[in-house]
Amino acid sequence: MSISVIFPTKNRAHYVKRAVRTAFKAHRVEEVIVIDGGSMDDTIRIAEREGAKVIVQSDLIYPGKGIAMRDGAYLASCDILVYLDIDIRNVTPEFIEKLAEPIISGQAEFVKGCFERAAGRVTELVAKPLLRMFYPELAKFRQPLSGEIAGLRKLFYKVEFERGWGVDVGLLIDFYKLGARIVERDIGYKDHDMKPLHALTDMAYEVAAAILRRAIRDQKVDPRWAEKYMSGVRAMDLGLESERGFV
Amino acid sequence: MRVLLIGGGHSAYFAARAIREIDPDGHLIIIEFTREKVEMLSRTFPSAEVLFQEIDRVEDYIKENSELLDAVIAATESDSLNLRYCRVARENAVPITVSILNNPLNYEIFKKEKINYIIDPYRVITIQLFEILGAPVNVVFSSLVNNLEIASVRILNEKLLHELRSALDKHDDVIAAFVSRTGEISSSPSSVSLGGSAYIMGPREKIEKLLQLSRNVVMR
Repeated sequence: MSISVIFPTKNRAHYVKRAVRTAFKAHRVEEVIVIDGGSMDDTIRIAEREGAKVIVQSDLIYPGKGIAMRDGAYLASCDILVYLDIDIRNVTPEFIEKLAEPIISGQAEFVKGCFERAAGRVTELVAKPLLRMFYPELAKFRQPLSGEIAGLRKLFYKVEFERGWGVDVGLLIDFYKLGARIVERDIGYKDHDMKPLHALTDMAYEVAAAILRRAIRDQKVDPRWAEKYMSGVRAMDLGLESERGFV
Repeated sequence: MRVLLIGGGHSAYFAARAIREIDPDGHLIIIEFTREKVEMLSRTFPSAEVLFQEIDRVEDYIKENSELLDAVIAATESDSLNLRYCRVARENAVPITVSILNNPLNYEIFKKEKINYIIDPYRVITIQLFEILGAPVNVVFSSLVNNLEIASVRILNEKLLHELRSALDKHDDVIAAFVSRTGEISSSPSSVSLGGSAYIMGPREKIEKLLQLSRNVVMR
């Protein structure tokens, strides 16, 4: 089975060379894809020079992580997709191999990476409580918001990509709903930049909205109740405004 | 004409309308990935053949039908998919491949893939604003196929008119049409008055040189 490694990125010229080179060293990796969010630095030029396939994400929104991940899946051609953050300072080929291994060995169709550190604040205070309420089967995952994932490419065409920060938990729920076997793999210590607390408000909102939207979709929450009592939430974020016309 | 249009969003909707207008009796096939949109498209374009396909089956469809297709227009909401589909169409010798960009920043990436036509829907904003606000020079169209370019130059002063005339005399491969301030079109530079425009067409490098010359004169 071949592997496509996908890096969503923006203005990460400093990291891209090492990340792409490391990815190409991993066993079975046949292509490396860099999805750029509209970098103003040399990220694209360096990624191309290092042999990565590069495209700019289709919609220049911020945060556009979900759009970038979707575009990465759509551009990829290998059997397994592995997503990694580009700013992991201690990235090694083993990160990729550990993530892909359960799929290659037939144990799983979707793998969540987790790390030797305490889970983040949004994970502990938002994602885990909401998962426990609506998807208790997924509450066992240590880091449900981890962006280091692997999955069978063909299944990524059957799930819904959130546009922003809700994408990781959204994929976890959607793969679960597809009936995919999901495992969590400890990929060791991850050395990367942490977000400051004030930057987490929007992230927490989007993660909560992604979970609630799926809870409504999967009939775990009555949409009439949500519409009536959750007036502070944009209806569209909960999937309550059905898309009309050509959107 | 037999055209395959891929996508069901805004771009695809306007592309389908245009194709219908250009060739009302042609065979338009639209591929969409969601059943809801397939239904909507079928109602909106009843004479088109609207098909539901899975994202990773479209390339097979193009390969299997390439000999029958005159054009493939990729107008999905993902530039990644548009690139993939146009690439397959080109590799399978579909005569015309068109991609409608979602993000103009992908223009150069698509250009490298030798897609026949790359439509940047946002480009019209620049062109029109340049015309409306009176930019001295404006690239109207740049062909990826034969490296030709069409541009307009607003004749803002006598010096520019003089420089442009002498430059055009030197370049046989650049042709020009002139539009006077009152709206008359002529092929003769002598009929142009101040405030009118020159539309020039020729090899991209030469047009760029003429545009640079015009900019320099205006800035002086």
